This record gives sequence, C-alpha cells and structure tokens, in this order.
Amino acid sequence: MSNYYEEISQNVITGQLDRVKQLTQQAIDAGNDPVEIINQGLILGMSVVGARFKSGQMFVPEVLMSARSMTAGMDMVKPLILSEDIPSAGKVVIGTVKGDLHDIGKNLVSMMLESAGYTTINVGVDAGPEKFLQAVKEHKPNIIAMSALLTTTMLSMKDTIELLKEEGLRDKVLVIIGGAPISQDFADEIGADGFAPDAGSATDLCKKLLA
Amino acid sequence: MSRSQYVRANYQVNATPQLKMLSDDQCENVLNGALEVLERTGAEIHSEKALEIFRKGGCWVDGNMVRFPSHLVEWAIRSAPSRIVISNQKGERTMFLEGQNVYYGPGPTNTYTIDPFTGERRRAKKSDTVRAAKVIDALPNISFAMDCGTVMDVTPTLSDVHAFQAMLENTNKPIIHWGFGIDQYQDIIDMAAAVAGGLEALQRDPFILLYSESSPPLRHSGEAIDKAIFAAKNNIPIVYTPCTFSGGVAPATMAATLVIAVADSLVGLVAGQLVRKGSGFVMGGLISTMDMSSTILSYGAAELSLLSAGLTAVARYMKIPMFSTGGCSDSKVIDTQMGIEAAFSILIAGLSGANLIHDCGYMEYGATSSLDLMTMDDEIIGMVKKILGGVLVDDEHLALDIIDKVGPGGHYLADDHTMAHFREFWAPTLINRLRFDGWKAEGSKTMAQRVKEKTQDIINNHKPEQKPESVLKEIQAIVDRAEAREANKR
Repeated sequence: MSNYYEEISQNVITGQLDRVKQLTQQAIDAGNDPVEIINQGLILGMSVVGARFKSGQMFVPEVLMSARSMTAGMDMVKPLILSEDIPSAGKVVIGTVKGDLHDIGKNLVSMMLESAGYTTINVGVDAGPEKFLQAVKEHKPNIIAMSALLTTTMLSMKDTIELLKEEGLRDKVLVIIGGAPISQDFADEIGADGFAPDAGSATDLCKKLLA
Repeated sequence: MSRSQYVRANYQVNATPQLKMLSDDQCENVLNGALEVLERTGAEIHSEKALEIFRKGGCWVDGNMVRFPSHLVEWAIRSAPSRIVISNQKGERTMFLEGQNVYYGPGPTNTYTIDPFTGERRRAKKSDTVRAAKVIDALPNISFAMDCGTVMDVTPTLSDVHAFQAMLENTNKPIIHWGFGIDQYQDIIDMAAAVAGGLEALQRDPFILLYSESSPPLRHSGEAIDKAIFAAKNNIPIVYTPCTFSGGVAPATMAATLVIAVADSLVGLVAGQLVRKGSGFVMGGLISTMDMSSTILSYGAAELSLLSAGLTAVARYMKIPMFSTGGCSDSKVIDTQMGIEAAFSILIAGLSGANLIHDCGYMEYGATSSLDLMTMDDEIIGMVKKILGGVLVDDEHLALDIIDKVGPGGHYLADDHTMAHFREFWAPTLINRLRFDGWKAEGSKTMAQRVKEKTQDIINNHKPEQKPESVLKEIQAIVDRAEAREANKR
C-alpha cells in the first residue's frame, strides 16, 4: 500500500492544487493516519518550498500556489482529527493598523505563516487597538502581528501595546510588527517583542519567539 | 553660402530623438480598458464626501463601491487642462507642463535618508530637508523641490508642514508636496499664499502642486480622494498618483498594470473635475514591478522605465500632464548598480517626454533618500538633456563652406566656426575626462568621491536667495497655528 506522502509532498512543491486534493483523498481512503498525512506529506512539501524560496530558487507566486495547495489538503484532513491533535506551530492574530488600508504585505505574511504551520486570524485593515484587543480576548493567540505602510499610522501600534497593558494582557501575548516604515529601533521604542523586514523573515521571527 | 535654384519640399525634421512606447491605437486600447474597468468593476471609495460628489455627478454608487459611466470619465478627461504652467516662488513662470516638456526633480517621504557627511542611514530630520532644499536650489537640472524624506524630529502629524517650511526657507524653485490630511493641506496653501502674495496670486501663478496617493488596485482612502477634492476646491493643481506594481496590486502583465494605473488616476480626475471643471490635474506616479524574490517594489527595474514611458504615452494621448519617475535605484550604496539604474531611468523618462520626472535621489527601492544620488542625477540629466536636444541639421551646422575653406588635411581648432559652436557640446562637471596623470594629480578620485565632495560643498557654501523677513514671519505664524491645533487634538 502506498502511503502517498512522497507524491503529496511533490505536488505541494509544484503547487498542483487539484492533484494534492486528489492524493490527500486517496491517502485518507487508504486509511493513513491523518496526522501523518499532514506532517509527512503536506508540511514536509511546504518546508522544501520555504527552503527553496530562501535560496532564490522559487518565487513568491509559486510559494503562494504551494501554500494554497497545502491548505486545501489540510482542510480535508483536519475534520478527521481532534482539534488538539492538529499540528499547529502557534496562533497569530494579524492585521493592518488603524487608518491604514494597505494589506498586500500583511496578507503575504499571513499566507507565509499559514504555510509554515501557524494558525492565523486575520482582522483585516484599519484595525484599531480595540479590534486587536478583542481578537486577543476571543482567540487567545500566541502572537499578534501588526502591519503599517505609512509613517503616520505606525504610531497606532504603540496604542495597541498600551491598551494590552491596561487590560493586563500584555504578558499573555507576544507583539511583532512590520511594514515599510518599521525598523528594529521603532520596535524597541514602542516595546514590541520583534520586528521582521519581510514576509519570509516574519515566519523565522515567530519560530524564534515561540521556541 | 549660395545655392542656385535651391528649393526644399516636404522636408521632415527629427528635432529630438524619438521614443514613443505605445502607438495611438495602443493608447486608445489601454484607455478603453481603464474605462471598462471603471464602468464594470468600479472603485472602492472611503469618503462620504467623495461618494456624494460621485453620486451627484452621475456615477453608480453602492455602499463604498462606485462605478463610473464612460461618458462621465471622458468628459472629465476633456475638461481637465492639457497644460499647467508652474511658477517659481518669485512668480516667474518656469515649468510649462505641456506637450513633451521635461522637468526633473526629487521625491517625497522616504523612511530613511543617508547623512551626506557621516554616511549614516537614519530617519530624516527637519535639518535634512533644509539640506535637501539647498542642494535642490543649487543643482541646475533639478527643476522642482520635494521633501526627500519624512521628517521625524517634529510633531509627527505635522511632518509635512515642517518639511514645507524647510523648503520654502531654502529654495525658490517650485514645490510638489504632500500632506497627511486636509488640515495640513490648508496650512500648506496658506504658507504658499504668504509667499505668493495672497491666495489669488497663488492660484493664478501656482508654484506648488499638491500630491496625493491612492491605494491600488481601485481603492481610494478618504485622505487620498479628499485631498483631490480639496485641491480642486482651492483651485491648486494636484498630482494624483496610484503606486502600481505588476504582480502585486496589478496583474503580472504590463498592459494590465497600465490599465490599473490609468483607472486609478481617472478616479481622482473625475472627483476634481466634478468639484471644479478645469481644475489642474497631473496623472502618473510610480509604476513598476514587484520583485518576486524580495517582494520589493523595484525602482531600478527595466519595467519601471517601460511602464513609465507607456503611461506617459497614454497621458499624452489623453492630453493630461504626466508625473513620471527617474533617477532612482534599488542599490543601497553609491555604486555601479546605482549609476546604471539612475541613468537608464532618467534617459527613458526623458525620451518619453514626461512633464515631471520625480524620485531623483531615491535609493534602496525608495526607502532611503540620498542627496549624493541627486547630485549625480543632476549630471546624468545634463547629459540626457543634451541627447534630447538631438542633432541640428541646417546650413550653418552642415558648414560646407568651412569644410571647403579648411580643406583636406587641415584642422578646425582655431576656426571662427568652431569658436561659435564648440560650446554647444555638453561639458561635464562630475564625469571625469582628465588624462591619467591629471586625474592622479587630483587624488585619483572615484565618481562617488567627486559626487560626495560636490554635495558637501553645496550644503556648506550655497546661499539660497532669502525671502523677506515679513514673509518668513508669516510662515512661522502658520506653523505655530498648526502646532496649537494638533496639541488640542491630543
């Protein structure tokens, strides 16, 4: 009996969404362990993609196609597993801050995180401190990630951190920030736990912080 | 020179080298694509004021979504002026944004700047905009001023107002400037009016263009669109620019990227024309590709030049003045890459005939400004302007009589004709053409070293023409007023 893992992994790498779904179904039907399908098929393929992207052999649109394929497979396997058994690297609430409508960078980070095995809760654009606070209360994430493209809106990041402090939740969650005008200095200044200059390193940052 | 029976007919002249990226048919195709997108897909508008203007103007409004009937957009294209004349701060009409006239200048709001003395990459201070304005004032091929970095050592929400003050105090060239919102735009107009001698004088001979950026694809924040409306209300021309990059906020094909850029520009145009028919509008903005490895928006890509020249062709087809890009780079230091990228983009933007070409001095994909790069760009622009001048062919320049007089084997060095014309050659100021020994005697300096010395010399020694004390006081009073207002908001 083939366990399909190698083939699933290969098709995640090449971003063949329909083929990944087909193979995942076959693997399930053949009675393979759902957690193994995830770890040895879907996520294994995605980790190759991550490495190839870093070394410049793969490009962003290809990574996103792979991520989409992996997610499609995950969605089929997840209902078969108790939620506590679903492998998740961590939970991240992510959003673009108040007054800012730019979300392409934030969405890219979100997809990269998901493809690295994180569960993300996307609170969208123009998200004020209250919106982040509410998401923290509701979803109890390990990390909140804030994005800003504008030098004016980035100041709202500090307000979110202050509000978390007031609510006594600051030590319950890690805060990371990113976006064009953001720097490590700014992260230090407002008391964030981390800063990443691009989508790829945002994943690395989360790994480092949760290690 | 005499010629018998000399008659010339149907004689065609290339006064300048020719580069037309798109034919009229292709331009029409792109424009029709944009009209279709606006009518079919529409744009998302985050301003009640703008939604009301669009509704009254005959658009289909559904929540935040606005769809634009093509006839309305075409009306707006025809109603906008095909020429806008911008004066310097002394009221002299210096920039004729019409036809294929070309003017180069820097760019706005970089996150970082390179300190021209220490080489440090850091956040910009007000004193950096002072330096930038001095360098802009001194460089002959830089025709207008922009702030060259968001000033971070002032009240954060008045960075724009302080940068404008720094520019007013250190150059008399025209200024293109941004603002966070309407309050700041009002401060800026008031300061400009103080310089021009009243609002009416400023409207008649504007020396400022306001600057607003939408968020493509097809999304316009309240701040962006309200600024277009404000500019039209106050009868001050505006540069309304989406920042469109292939593969990111536009499809990964160049034609589609042009469609998105044109469509997003037209949204601002329609808003302005509905508020005031004939208000000055400049389209264009940054258009390039997203690098699919690093996800940067590339400022050095070949596609930046191709797309900018393509957008310029469409703007020209629509008879709307164009704001294009050149003199910028993805490089992080003054190096060969920077020279290549700056030179290509300056040349292609110049050849395309874009009226305003901004972002000279932009390095590191626009994240950082460099006065050194702007100084180097000034030299490149000088070279490019010479190329844009073409080869003059007439009897005086064919010089057949002189060729006959000097004859075979002679030389022209001491001829009157040479005296009369040799200064038409472009003379470099930074490009080095010394013989080896001369170059060695001057310290064997690289281009980067010569550029740095020139920039530092300008900052240390250039004295911009000062404005009257009374005007400076009026400007300061407006800054103080803005500070009081922002303090009340907190």
